[in-house]
Amino acid sequence: MRAREAIELLARHRRDAVAVCALGMAANEWWAATKSEDSFYMHGAMGFAASFALGLALSLPQVPVWLINADGSLCMNLGCLLTEASQAAQNLKHFMVDNGVYQTVGALPVVNDGRTDYAAIARAAGFPHTHTIEALEELERQLPAILAEDGPVMTVLRVVPEKGFLRTPPMTYEGPEMKYRFGRALERRFGIEVFGPQGY
Amino acid sequence: MDVAGRIHEQLSKCGVRLAASLPDDWVAPLIERIAADNQIRHVRVAREAEAVAICSGAFFGGVRSVALMGATGLLTCTGELATLNLRHQIPVFLIVSQRGSIDDHRIYQEVQGRRTIPLLQAYDFPYHVIDRPDDVSSIPDAFETCRMQKRPFVLFLTRRLVKGEGTA
Repeated sequence: MRAREAIELLARHRRDAVAVCALGMAANEWWAATKSEDSFYMHGAMGFAASFALGLALSLPQVPVWLINADGSLCMNLGCLLTEASQAAQNLKHFMVDNGVYQTVGALPVVNDGRTDYAAIARAAGFPHTHTIEALEELERQLPAILAEDGPVMTVLRVVPEKGFLRTPPMTYEGPEMKYRFGRALERRFGIEVFGPQGY
Repeated sequence: MDVAGRIHEQLSKCGVRLAASLPDDWVAPLIERIAADNQIRHVRVAREAEAVAICSGAFFGGVRSVALMGATGLLTCTGELATLNLRHQIPVFLIVSQRGSIDDHRIYQEVQGRRTIPLLQAYDFPYHVIDRPDDVSSIPDAFETCRMQKRPFVLFLTRRLVKGEGTA
C-alpha cells in the first residue's frame, strides 16, 4: 500500500469529519486528496498534531475529528498516546501513516528502523481499539467498522516508503491565512464562535 | 478565599472551559482546584508542549482555555510556541510559576530565573507578573490581551503570591 493511495481512500470516506494533519507528507497528501479548508495542516510543532487534534475533539464532542499523523511525528511525542487514552474522546480517530522513514527530508530511516509496533504501544497506553493495516483492500474492507468504533481509535497504515523526496506540493496558503480559513470554515459549519465580534 | 481560588474564579470569569496542565509545586494547588471544577475540562499531559497544542486545538473549537505549568516546562515548549502559535497567530494563555526568583533558593531553578524573561522578549511573547493577591483581578485583562495579540501570553505567578511572605 502506498501513502497516497491510503490517504485518498480515507478522503473518500471522510464525510463530515474535520481533519488535523501532521506536517510534511501527511499534510501535503491530505491537501492533494481533499483541497479542504476545514482541515488544519500543521506547519510546525512536529509531534503535536495529536495534541492539537485532541483539543479540537474535546471542544467539539459531536464532531468527528480525524488525525492524519505519521510515524516520524508520533515518535517525537509518544506521550501523546497516554493523554489521548486518558481523555477517551469518542469522536477522535487517529490514523498514523507508518512508512519507516522521514519521507519529506529524503526518506532517511525513522528511529528503530521499522521494528516498532505502534498499535501495540497505543494498546498498552489504553486505546480501546487499535488496528494495523498493510493492504489497500484490507483498509477498504475494515474502514467502515473502524469509523463506527468509539474513539480514541488508533489505525496504523503500514505503507511502502517512496524513494527520495516526495514532490507533492503543499497547500497554497499558510500561517495566519490558514488559521482564518480553518476557523471561519468551522464557524460556518458548526455555528460556533472562533473569532470574536472584532475578528480576533 | 485563597490565591488558587481567586485565580480559578477569574479564569471562570474569562470563560475558560478547558485547562491542560503539568504540575510544578507552585501551581499544583491551582491545578487541583481546576480539576475539581466540572465546568472546566481538565487534561493532564505528559509534556508541556502538549498543553500548548491542546489549547491551540481548543481555540478552533471555540473553547477558551489555559495551559498551566512550571517555568522549566515553559522552556521546554518554546519551539512549539514559536512554530505553531507564532507561525499561525494562535493565542494561547499560559499560567506559569516564576521560578528562579531571588526568594526561590533552589539551585536547579536559577537558570530559569535568569534567562526566561530574556527568552520571552526575544520571541516577542507578552507576559504579566502577578505578585500580590490584589493583582489577580487583572487576569481578564491579560486574557483579552492574549486574544488581541494573537500569540502566547505568559501570566507569571511569583513565590510571594503562591507561598506568601517569608524565606524559601
